[in-house]
Amino acid sequence: MKLFLSALACVLATTAAAEDGVTANSIKIGIMGPFTGNASSYSKAEIGLDAYYKWVNDQGGVNGRKIETVLEDYACDGAKGVAAVKKLIYQDKVFMLHGNSCSAVAMAIKPVVVESGVPWVIAHAANPAISAPPTKNIFHGVPVGKTMGVAMGQFVASKPGTSRVAVISHTDDWAKSYCGPANDFLASKNIKPVVEVAFERGQTDATAQTLKIKQANPDFVIACLYEAETAIFLKDAKKYGLNVPVMGTAGTDLENTLKRVGDLDTVANYYVPHMYADNLDGPRLKPFAEILKKYYPNESLTAFSLIAMGSAAAVVEALKRTGREPTREKLIAELDRTKDFDTHVLAGHITWSPTDRDGVKDVAVAGFVKGKPTVLKSWGKPL
Amino acid sequence: MFALQLALSGLAQGAIYALVALSMCVVYRGTTVVNFGHGDLVMAGAFVVYLLVVLAGLPFYASAALAVVLLVVLGVAIEIGLIERIKAGPHVGFALMCIAFGYVLRGIARAVWGREVLPMPRVFDFPPLLIGELVLTGDAIVIFAAVGVLLVAFFALFYRSSAGRVMQAVCQSERGAALVGINVRAFHAAMWGVGAALAAIGGVLVAPITLLHPGLGASFLIKGFAAMTLGGFGSFGGAVLGGLILGVAEQLVGGYVSTKLIDITAYLVIILVLALRPNGLFGRAIAEKV
Repeated sequence: MKLFLSALACVLATTAAAEDGVTANSIKIGIMGPFTGNASSYSKAEIGLDAYYKWVNDQGGVNGRKIETVLEDYACDGAKGVAAVKKLIYQDKVFMLHGNSCSAVAMAIKPVVVESGVPWVIAHAANPAISAPPTKNIFHGVPVGKTMGVAMGQFVASKPGTSRVAVISHTDDWAKSYCGPANDFLASKNIKPVVEVAFERGQTDATAQTLKIKQANPDFVIACLYEAETAIFLKDAKKYGLNVPVMGTAGTDLENTLKRVGDLDTVANYYVPHMYADNLDGPRLKPFAEILKKYYPNESLTAFSLIAMGSAAAVVEALKRTGREPTREKLIAELDRTKDFDTHVLAGHITWSPTDRDGVKDVAVAGFVKGKPTVLKSWGKPL
Repeated sequence: MFALQLALSGLAQGAIYALVALSMCVVYRGTTVVNFGHGDLVMAGAFVVYLLVVLAGLPFYASAALAVVLLVVLGVAIEIGLIERIKAGPHVGFALMCIAFGYVLRGIARAVWGREVLPMPRVFDFPPLLIGELVLTGDAIVIFAAVGVLLVAFFALFYRSSAGRVMQAVCQSERGAALVGINVRAFHAAMWGVGAALAAIGGVLVAPITLLHPGLGASFLIKGFAAMTLGGFGSFGGAVLGGLILGVAEQLVGGYVSTKLIDITAYLVIILVLALRPNGLFGRAIAEKV
């Protein structure tokens, strides 16, 4: 009888370890991010994600297993992203994927991930096309561009007297995922752009764009630009006397934008979608900021730092529900049972289902009020 | 007024392109090497200034001077340590070597500052000069002044001094120059040093205006090539004029045609010039006697 039970235990242990990335005492999660390159400040999201999993391990792990993270860099480059994700799936044999800033890279790696069947929770990239239409194994753990684009449009329209809106944007899918829904929302309020100008990535001067916008005399500018180009545009706007509010995207944050332009005056009228439940230095986010500080003491806190921790909390809960023998099938099923989950980090709760993988649908806006980053419900109204 | 403002801004931007094109031209004319890693020398100049100003706490102008000196040393080291060694090989080896050291410089910058887009302190942050409705920004004033002084000094040195005449002699015929006792190897090293110094000055001027990242040099390389092509390969005056025309063209295209075309203006210039006037505005056709 003892021999039979030992044999049974061996079989069960072997079965439990049969799924790629799962051993008797660990679950391997692949985290891919732009840790180098000119969009590398986005990887603060993946750094925060890794810190959160380290913290989970220090709390005892998940059902007795520690989470083992494997970090891969793709420098916000599609080809490198495909190589990184193939390495994680087929060489490192991770149980699931979590991460990814840079929507264009996420779109490039999507076919590889779909084909592999490995569960992928998107921690930062915002293009809605990554998770819609739904596929079997992809879940969006942050608000998608459409949600934020609508929030951007709502905020712009909430400023009394707004009727003339100018748009400056990159010409890629990422920018369209923000500017498109913002424009659609404004169009529903009979506000159509008075001028739309392109400002491509890598350009170092926005004079022509700024002057064209100024000529159109807008009440508000919507800027769907990455970080460096946002700073260049804001500086040029100040130089040429374009004194109107600018609504940016979640691809930028107030703190870093201020650091880049160098003075508060230039960003005083700059607003961004805000995905958090509180100000970055507010009491609700303090525990999460402390997690980051504990595991990455030299890492500065920006608006990207804690953004992936919300979806990490949801993943940990789903993993717990899979029990002692987690499989990818079980994890996907449990992620799909996530309903109205309060992450305590994000402004919106997470809900996933097989027919809707766009998990977070609420966003606020942040701007400088009396020189301090402040979360706003609408124009002039703090949360 | 709109057109004038665009042109003024274009001239400021074009002055940087002119400087980069001139620095590439110096290396090309002095050594016949087209430096495909030149954009990364611009980036290196900018990063050295950042390092000295922000991390070492030195004043900007002292840092700028030190950066130029360091880049001269780097330029000379590249020539002696890398280019000179492959002189006997095929010409394509120069191009590959230049691309390779450019990527190495970029890699070093990534290794050190990888995850940040870095802001430089705003040293040119004085109030703009207003001429009616025309805005002459502090950046533009500094760029015009710096590039103007530099170009006058460069052309005076090259065309009016005895050292410049020696340079011209080597540019025209290395063998002839060697026969009259000029040290051609030292001349090549000096040309790389001067080229790297001019690139560094470009980086120093750009750094406080834009943000720093390791890929910064890539766009300046293309703009430099376009300006060189427009002005005529090997023509110093042509490179300067090509840079200024390109800067203004970008702004006017953005202002009057479409802002979507700004990014490809440099490529259009290269295509059009090579197709319609391969020697550029000031280049001379090389007659081959057979």
